[in-house]
Amino acid sequence: MKLLIAGDVCMGHGRCYGIAPDIVTYDDEGYPTIRDELLAVPDDRVAAAEEVAATCPEEAISIIDD
Amino acid sequence: MATPPQVPQRDVGGCPVMHRDFAPAGPAGCYWDLAKELRDGSPVYFNTFAQGYWVFTRHDAVKDIYKTPEIFSSESFTPWEPNPVYRFVPTQIDAPDHIKYRRILNPWFSPRAIDAAEDDLRVLCRGLVEEVAPKGATDFVNEFALRFPTEGFLHVIGVPPKDADLFVPWVEDFFAGFSGDPAGLERMTSALGGIREYFVAALEERRGETEPRPGDLASHLLHSTFDDRPLTDTEMLDMLTVLVLAGLDTTRAELGYMFRHLAEHPEHRRRLIEDPELIPLAVEEVLRYYTIIFGDGRKVTRDVEFHDVQLKQGEMVYGLVSAANRDPEHWERGEEFVIDRTRNNHMGFANGPHRCLGMHLARREMRLAVEEWLRVIPDFHIATDEQLTERGGGSMMTLLELPLAWETA
Repeated sequence: MKLLIAGDVCMGHGRCYGIAPDIVTYDDEGYPTIRDELLAVPDDRVAAAEEVAATCPEEAISIIDD
Repeated sequence: MATPPQVPQRDVGGCPVMHRDFAPAGPAGCYWDLAKELRDGSPVYFNTFAQGYWVFTRHDAVKDIYKTPEIFSSESFTPWEPNPVYRFVPTQIDAPDHIKYRRILNPWFSPRAIDAAEDDLRVLCRGLVEEVAPKGATDFVNEFALRFPTEGFLHVIGVPPKDADLFVPWVEDFFAGFSGDPAGLERMTSALGGIREYFVAALEERRGETEPRPGDLASHLLHSTFDDRPLTDTEMLDMLTVLVLAGLDTTRAELGYMFRHLAEHPEHRRRLIEDPELIPLAVEEVLRYYTIIFGDGRKVTRDVEFHDVQLKQGEMVYGLVSAANRDPEHWERGEEFVIDRTRNNHMGFANGPHRCLGMHLARREMRLAVEEWLRVIPDFHIATDEQLTERGGGSMMTLLELPLAWETA
């Protein structure tokens, strides 16, 4: 599984890295460091990644199944 | 609060019409009851109050208003006052300039900035809790919820904490007029003047310094640029003013409702004490369930059909965020407080480009308040039989007082 954060939709709420800082890292303005590029999800973190996508208030995060 | 509907000045195409003033104070919680009543009644109303404006009550429309800023301008966010006397920057600025101002401010309120301030914030919080703990009773709103975020916010922007005593009454006076109550307009204007004078002097004192003072936002603004030119004094004053108004009042309000909830739910206090990892989830649920933004206003930029009504350019809309955040169409058990709710994608900090700048500071202060309070005062109750009062939804709901009491050792 991978996550994709849409850079033009993300508004920097920070809920994603609040839940899973190991999957999503953030920059000095509070936006995810990696946007518009696939983010790897370790096999044991699939549930957390689903939680991340479902929690985004802007619906900026999609799940890409392998 | 309700008066008989009046005939609107324009044909609203069969949309339900109401005539409601959202300014008056009422019993605590009444504005969430009203939000539910309106949401259950219709997805949209035309409110003939003031010049008349549209009220959208459901999650999908409120979200669409936030997510379509090219149609819904932030030029005014009070639907009963399309042309306010104040101009908040970047709150009332649309694209493309909005993001340029936001980028000047974002680093000051980013998670990293708040991480760096957390130890100081905790010391502030702990000091206030330990001051009230031996007394066995307090007015939580005025002795804690107002002081902690005020001192915390002033610390983050580098204003001396002693000046908190100046800012608190200005903020109170501003919100007396913000909701459209004509009796409060003079106080609001005078408060804006006071805040402005304070920052005019602060900018004057710092002007001409070759380096920005570390941790001092006013000084930082003097060294910031917009499209490669320095910020004007008006821009800097409009930015500092809105930060003070938004930063001092809103977290106070959320803390008040959060601690009223904890006072009334010993089982929730116990869960948070036994499992502190739940505190961040509980904070998000407070922000969803007790959304203090009754509604958020926008100005329509062009004629458009939106959620089955025909909007005209220049009209105002009001998206009831408080109703959307409990809408059963979006939420399971939406009208229920679920302390460990997950997938809680609430709009308590708004949505779209204008999402709350101070959100990371606010939720950190809420978490610290719970941690520090429960550590010292694990059991407390509301110390009055009288009905608590909240400020009108038009100004954002907030408890005017919250008497709490507890056993002392």
